[in-house]
Amino acid sequence: MNSLTILGLLPLIGSAALFLLPKGSDLLAKQVALGVSIVVAIAGLGMAFSFNRSATGFQFVEKHQWIPAFGINYALGVDGISLLLILLALVLTPVVIAACWHEAEGGRWSVKNFFGLILILETMIVGVFAATDIFLFYVFFEAMLIPVYFLIGGYGTGEKAAAAVKFLLYSLFGGLLMLASIIGLYVISGNQLQAPTFDVTALSQLSIDPVTQRMLFLGFFIAFAIKAPLWPFHTWLPDAARAATPGTSVLLLGVLDKVGTYGMIRFCLSLFPEASKEFGPTIIVLSLISIFYGAFLAIAQGTSSGDGNIKALISYTSISHFGFITLGIFAFTEQSHSGATLYMINHGFSTAALFLIAGWMISRRKSERISDFGGLQRVTPIMAWLFFIAGMSSLALPGLSSFVSEFLVLVGTFARYPIPAIIGTIGIIFAALYILIPVQRALHGPITPGNENLTDLTLREKVSIAPVIAVIIFFGFYPQPLLDVINPAASATLSALQITGIMGGK
Amino acid sequence: MNAPNIEYGILGPILIVLAAALIGVLIEAFVSRRYRYILQTGTAFAAVALAFLQLVLIRQTSSKAAVSSMSIDGVTIVLQGSVLIFGFLGLLLIAERGFQSFTAQAAAIPGSNEEQKALVSGLQQTEVFPLTLFAISGAMLFPAANDLLTLFVSLEVLSLPLYLMAGLSQRRRLLSQEAALKYFLLGAFSSAFFLFGSAFIYGQAGSTTFDGIRKSIVESGGSDQFLLVGLALLTVGLLFKVSAAPFHAWTPDVYQGSPTPVTAFMAAVTKVAAFGAAIRIYYFAVGGLVWSWRPILIAISIVTMAIGTVIAIAQKDIKRVLAYSAIAHSGFLLTGIIALSKDGLNATLIYLFTYGFTTIGTFAIVTLVRDSGGEVSDLNRWAGLGKRSPLVAGTFTLFLLGLAGIPLTSGFVGKFAIFTAAYKSGNISVVVAGVLASAIAAFFYIRIIVMMYFSDPVEDGTSVVIPSAMTVATIAICAVATLVMGIYPQPVISAINSLAFFAG
Amino acid sequence: MNPMNYIYLSCILFSLGAAGVLLRRNAIVVFMCIELMLNAANLAFVTFSRMNGTLDGQIVAFFTMVVAACEVVVGLAIIVTIYRSRRSASVDDARLLRL
Repeated sequence: MNSLTILGLLPLIGSAALFLLPKGSDLLAKQVALGVSIVVAIAGLGMAFSFNRSATGFQFVEKHQWIPAFGINYALGVDGISLLLILLALVLTPVVIAACWHEAEGGRWSVKNFFGLILILETMIVGVFAATDIFLFYVFFEAMLIPVYFLIGGYGTGEKAAAAVKFLLYSLFGGLLMLASIIGLYVISGNQLQAPTFDVTALSQLSIDPVTQRMLFLGFFIAFAIKAPLWPFHTWLPDAARAATPGTSVLLLGVLDKVGTYGMIRFCLSLFPEASKEFGPTIIVLSLISIFYGAFLAIAQGTSSGDGNIKALISYTSISHFGFITLGIFAFTEQSHSGATLYMINHGFSTAALFLIAGWMISRRKSERISDFGGLQRVTPIMAWLFFIAGMSSLALPGLSSFVSEFLVLVGTFARYPIPAIIGTIGIIFAALYILIPVQRALHGPITPGNENLTDLTLREKVSIAPVIAVIIFFGFYPQPLLDVINPAASATLSALQITGIMGGK
Repeated sequence: MNAPNIEYGILGPILIVLAAALIGVLIEAFVSRRYRYILQTGTAFAAVALAFLQLVLIRQTSSKAAVSSMSIDGVTIVLQGSVLIFGFLGLLLIAERGFQSFTAQAAAIPGSNEEQKALVSGLQQTEVFPLTLFAISGAMLFPAANDLLTLFVSLEVLSLPLYLMAGLSQRRRLLSQEAALKYFLLGAFSSAFFLFGSAFIYGQAGSTTFDGIRKSIVESGGSDQFLLVGLALLTVGLLFKVSAAPFHAWTPDVYQGSPTPVTAFMAAVTKVAAFGAAIRIYYFAVGGLVWSWRPILIAISIVTMAIGTVIAIAQKDIKRVLAYSAIAHSGFLLTGIIALSKDGLNATLIYLFTYGFTTIGTFAIVTLVRDSGGEVSDLNRWAGLGKRSPLVAGTFTLFLLGLAGIPLTSGFVGKFAIFTAAYKSGNISVVVAGVLASAIAAFFYIRIIVMMYFSDPVEDGTSVVIPSAMTVATIAICAVATLVMGIYPQPVISAINSLAFFAG
Repeated sequence: MNPMNYIYLSCILFSLGAAGVLLRRNAIVVFMCIELMLNAANLAFVTFSRMNGTLDGQIVAFFTMVVAACEVVVGLAIIVTIYRSRRSASVDDARLLRL
């Protein structure tokens, strides 16, 4: 068995163990979940060190026949992009488990089920990023909806059932469109190759006529745009983020939604270069709309006097950030691509920090309204400062990790599309507003009645958030290790595009 | 002149079931009431098992039988095997005695003294077993028929027992009788179309055998109006049986009114039999007319998917929801016929095989959720089932996901195969319609899942009863099949692919 | 006489039967109309048999008669039980299922 399979299997075994635990052994369940996820994270990091950074193409490849009648293989492999995304998931999972120690209490089902679902989700995430067979990718893409659905619906707050259903239906709808495109690709591969296949590398060699290519591209792209989420396919996200527990939101926005942008790079660009080129400008416009739309709504949440919701605010900032990522992807320059990939990682960490700290604020204050957090700076300084750092990372302050990626995206975009790049830069100013206004009004403002006796972070909370903050600061100053892994993959994607004339054409 | 040769060996499976049905009639007439149940069930299960055994023995056959009025080939073997398996599972549900699904005396007036007496004394009539066996034999004959006359007779052998079985419900007798009446009148109406269509096809082809029809189409170039009129009328009759729109109106009523074990049996077995017959007709007999029938079937398939999925959303009764889901599945299955290729043939057979297990399992679970008045089919009262009985709700979720065609369930494999076949044959419009319909369908399946897990149970006497081993076995077999064929479908697919050929 | 005339006649009978099924309300009458349709099919079979010069059609007609008799048995059984339950054989009264 290959290392990727083991990596994916470990959390699954852990979750099976959790489900078998007797009722009421909550503490043991948490410890088992944390232990398993830490082991998986260490295993993943160990694997990353044996990753050959200079080579292109997939590594840790493994391939077994699954349904030979349809040419379906169980095929796994990672390149720089998917390796980093898997690591992101593996690192964030133990952080979430430790940070959300008490989150599952009061849920619809038992605590052990919550952590069991999180571990299942971890398996699915490893699978979805590691799959090099499109069919396998689709299976993971759909299957991972189910644990998230139960995590939101069973342990969330407010309109959780409705939000869970909305999330599921949007994703299923996108997934089915993608299925139609996958079938189309499969049939075309049967016509052009000796045998029909789902192998990504083989499929990228096909020559597809423009009309079909456009249709198939849209099938994939809409699925990924819903997942990412890109305006105007984003409407499920604020509801889901508001209803989900902070831990679920971290996994949902920080990791799961990256499947959308990852899919655009891995599938849309490499399988349909001509159509990507054709739709590129349109998608750049959508990205810009996303940047500003997310920013405006976040500012609206931050400035509204009474009922600005902190979880909704963070989810809107994410829409804005995803706009930057898609902008980078469809600007088709090496810098913008590296930046977009780096952005995916950094956004994962900064959103995780924001959501987790916001979650602690909410659980202490028993309120999600931004105006209720007044004066936390004085009452709970550590929590307030950490939130401030996470916020600064979110607005891409130089010295924090997001800055590098945002800078690369904008510089890279400027090389090809100067005006969108300039417009995008204006978006950064709004980013400053949506972070600074709530920070200034709430955290630094006068103490809201009821906040006087709030306690600061416990040791467990400090320990669990420490790695995230460390990553944010470390990669802010020294992003090179990440870029070393990303750059070969990014240039490989782009050179594939170049061959088919996307750069040379103009 | 010699008497024609009858191939008893390869007709064995059908003959065994038919003989057992006749024995069942004799048992009902002559055996003391006390022993009837045990004898009837024994005969029925033994017959189905024996027939299956015989079918396995003759699995390599590919020839015409009974003076070329039947065709026992790989396609028939697969379909008959499916019918026998689903028939067996259906019989397990029908034989369940814990629920009193069936009326003690069908002839007694609902609420009358006779009925009470029969109920109190526990003198349950057992005519349902021979009726089921007759229906199974009809369902085995229908896809094997290679002749318009055999086709018509087997259609009636399949349908007539079902009309009666629909009216046998113990609870809500009036509803059940009404379902029987509707099913009968509409069914007979559609058989008339079927027969009239057959007459016209015969008029043009000069022969009732499929080989003769096939030959005459090749010779005439398929331009004769009689043939087209005949095919149109025949199609009406067939579409009625597979409950395709606009001939689907009976489905929700009959599914709702029939005793649930009968609904389970009917949903799986008639679908296999009717699509089996349709495949032989469209692929083999009138394959040469593809340019005439394909556009019509495409339109019907799309309309069927749309009606099945959209109307299901508004339903409040679980059995009606499942009935509309069955209609939508007919739409999906029609895409396999539209494909008209070896892939389409394989895909249709795989789809039928996977669908049968899932649908029987679903209805089996419907029989478990009850209150003092019998089954609870009102969807609102299923709320909170996940809390009340996690195991049952979990299994039901699995079946619903299977019906919705979510990956890692057997439903997805079938759906993928059939859409791929349709796409390959160039009929992309039905694939797109099918994908959109699947998305709408997911909505109402998920609505039920939401209801079970995210609503709080209402204390209104609804409970999940503990069934006997027979129902448990049925549900377990169906759940395992749904899961295993979803995760590792290769053995089933390759078995079907290697068998599914028509005898020339 | 041109055998086509019998085909026309069978079409007329079939249409009459179909119209009756759709328009009449008494289950017995509806059922009789279905029988009329079956017999129209029989007439068509016999006529085509004559036109084609093969006997298959006539054999089908005999089978149809037997099948129709079976249908009568089943159909009347259902109609009679429903009549005994509610003292009416009108298909309009059977509407518990129209939800």
